[in-house]
Amino acid sequence: MSHHLPEISDEPVIAEVIAHTNFLVSTGATGTRFLKEIRDNKKIMGLKCPGCSKVHVPPRLHCPTCFVKMTEWVELSGKGSLTSYTVVRYQEPYMPKEPPYAYGVIQMDGADTGLAHFLGEVDLDKIKIGMRLEPVFKEEREGSILDIDYFKPSS
Amino acid sequence: MAERIAIVGVGQTIHKSRRPDVTTAELCAEAVEAALADAQMTMKDIDHVVLGSFEVADGYFNPDKWIIPEIGAVGKAGFEIQNVGTTGGVTAAASFNLAATGMFDAVLCLAWQKMDEAAGAFSRGGGGANEYWMGQFPMSPITNFARRAYSYIDRSGCTEEHIAMVRVKQDQCAMKNPCAQLRLGLTIEKVMNDVLLAWPIRRLHMCPTTAGAAAVIVCPEARAKKVTDKPVWVEDWFTCHQGGALTMAEDPTASTLRYACDVVYKRCGITNPLKEIQAWEVYEPASPAELRWMEEVGICDDYTAWKLFEQGKVGIDKEIPFNPSGGVTATNPIGCTPVVRLVEAALQVRGDAGEHQIPGKIERALATGYGGQGENVIMMLRKTA
Amino acid sequence: MSTDQKQEQEFIQFRYPRQVPYQHSLGYQSKFANGLKQGRILATKCPVCGRCTIPPRIVCPFHHVKQTEWVDQGQRGRLVSAFKINFPMFDPRTRELQSWETPLVAVELEGGASMDGWCSELDTSKLKTGMLLEAVWRPEEERQGRGDDILHWKPVEE
Repeated sequence: MSHHLPEISDEPVIAEVIAHTNFLVSTGATGTRFLKEIRDNKKIMGLKCPGCSKVHVPPRLHCPTCFVKMTEWVELSGKGSLTSYTVVRYQEPYMPKEPPYAYGVIQMDGADTGLAHFLGEVDLDKIKIGMRLEPVFKEEREGSILDIDYFKPSS
Repeated sequence: MAERIAIVGVGQTIHKSRRPDVTTAELCAEAVEAALADAQMTMKDIDHVVLGSFEVADGYFNPDKWIIPEIGAVGKAGFEIQNVGTTGGVTAAASFNLAATGMFDAVLCLAWQKMDEAAGAFSRGGGGANEYWMGQFPMSPITNFARRAYSYIDRSGCTEEHIAMVRVKQDQCAMKNPCAQLRLGLTIEKVMNDVLLAWPIRRLHMCPTTAGAAAVIVCPEARAKKVTDKPVWVEDWFTCHQGGALTMAEDPTASTLRYACDVVYKRCGITNPLKEIQAWEVYEPASPAELRWMEEVGICDDYTAWKLFEQGKVGIDKEIPFNPSGGVTATNPIGCTPVVRLVEAALQVRGDAGEHQIPGKIERALATGYGGQGENVIMMLRKTA
Repeated sequence: MSTDQKQEQEFIQFRYPRQVPYQHSLGYQSKFANGLKQGRILATKCPVCGRCTIPPRIVCPFHHVKQTEWVDQGQRGRLVSAFKINFPMFDPRTRELQSWETPLVAVELEGGASMDGWCSELDTSKLKTGMLLEAVWRPEEERQGRGDDILHWKPVEE
């Protein structure tokens, strides 16, 4: 019964596969507190490390440098400076906005880390590193980082 | 010449079905804090980190980005490993390899799984199946072990009741382990009347989905002796990943466990495993698998393990102390599960397992990791150097 | 992105539904898929040990030699295991949760290789290890070069 079976094609076959996933991501107690302050009080909060005194925004439970639990919450004004940015001009599935749009890293006054977010109410060609920014909150807030609609230039 | 290596600290979370109060990274930090405290070390003492993640089972992609800062390990040497169910096993094996080079003073082995974030996607959706070869059929760990158990019953002559005995024994052990997830107070009757998933697998026979993390700190001999007066020596380790090919060819009930154990027993000079190994933490994803694995590790002849349960010989304080922690049907943070086996085996060797401690001196303990269609990782621990 | 909250939850969680398309090259195994389209089950054979394996492989996993020989595994095989899935499970084709009436069988083919499939006999008490089964194929125009081109395996009288 053994053959090389030349009558069956060796034509390469590509198998089309679609992987469906539906992951649920926990923000944990720390992330939940951060998001609820934004949702309920339009406040941006950070956590201060008892070891090195750095303020982390967004907050995390442990200081990455000292590996100690951070428990001291610090309220920030929300104002800050742009440390880096880019303008997205291409489209992919699952993008949160229609291109073109700009996002950047914002260092909040009183914080030692950067928060990534969208930039709005700004001419995409006139964004400058170091420019002053402030958050614009959505009317309807649901407990998400996107409850901050974007950061806009502030005077 | 490789350095002799020892485990100087172990830590694990209390395992639960859901942990919405922590992120995956924060869950990991709990295990790392526990392992560092156990070793009386700080993160400053660690010079290499190995992360083990079965990414598809918790959807936490590129996890080092999140976890390394959360455990305060920024700037340390490190990498991430994944290998389905044996992920924790290869993470441990890689950590052992690194420590044995003598290039690192203390290697942190960390694995986790937060299955509450992906349970629906993974456990019933054929998450482990190759999309092309078996993807057309609704394959999952449940159907895989139903098929194995069908053939085991067919070949061994055991009954469903014997498989229920295995599950009850696992639960009796888990009831004594405060870290175990399912502590149910089961009886044979309860198991026999449980929901049938795919004959002969009932819901209780299958490992649960778990959120949990575990960590182990491994040092070369000189450092280990300075750190602790209770080092657990890692005598040997071996990974065998020819599962799909090796197991399905002739025997639908087999895994690579026998082959992998033979390699390690030979190198360690073990001729009578039941006598020379006093504690067993063997990764059994379903209760009937425990029967076959007991045969494959050399405790008894093929297709006879069920008789040992019938005779009441298996349990923490019995002749065969198999999976005293309650095993994987009680607790299964899947990619982390082999590290949980390693933590439990190390505690047994130290005599620190608490209520589920096996009585008497534990000179050797065997921990394993299982994955996919029969892949295995073997980790042999010893009390004396 | 939307919060997963029918009522206010203590801890915020986010659900991320995604559909990710892949194109997997079957490579040397393409011959197997092309065989299915013609109603034939092919396996590679090791020149050293004579084992036939499905999935077919370019190299024998045991002997690390090239497997240039393809063997037609025939249309019949022996039942290795059979059970029903008694809980709703995702259909891998549609990803819809559904019930499954048909037993899942492992079949050892006449040519020596094994594969999975469905069984036409719905009463599992009538299915015995070692019984002879025969492949029932989808109509040729419906075949896609996949394992489920075989509609089911049907018990045959001996």
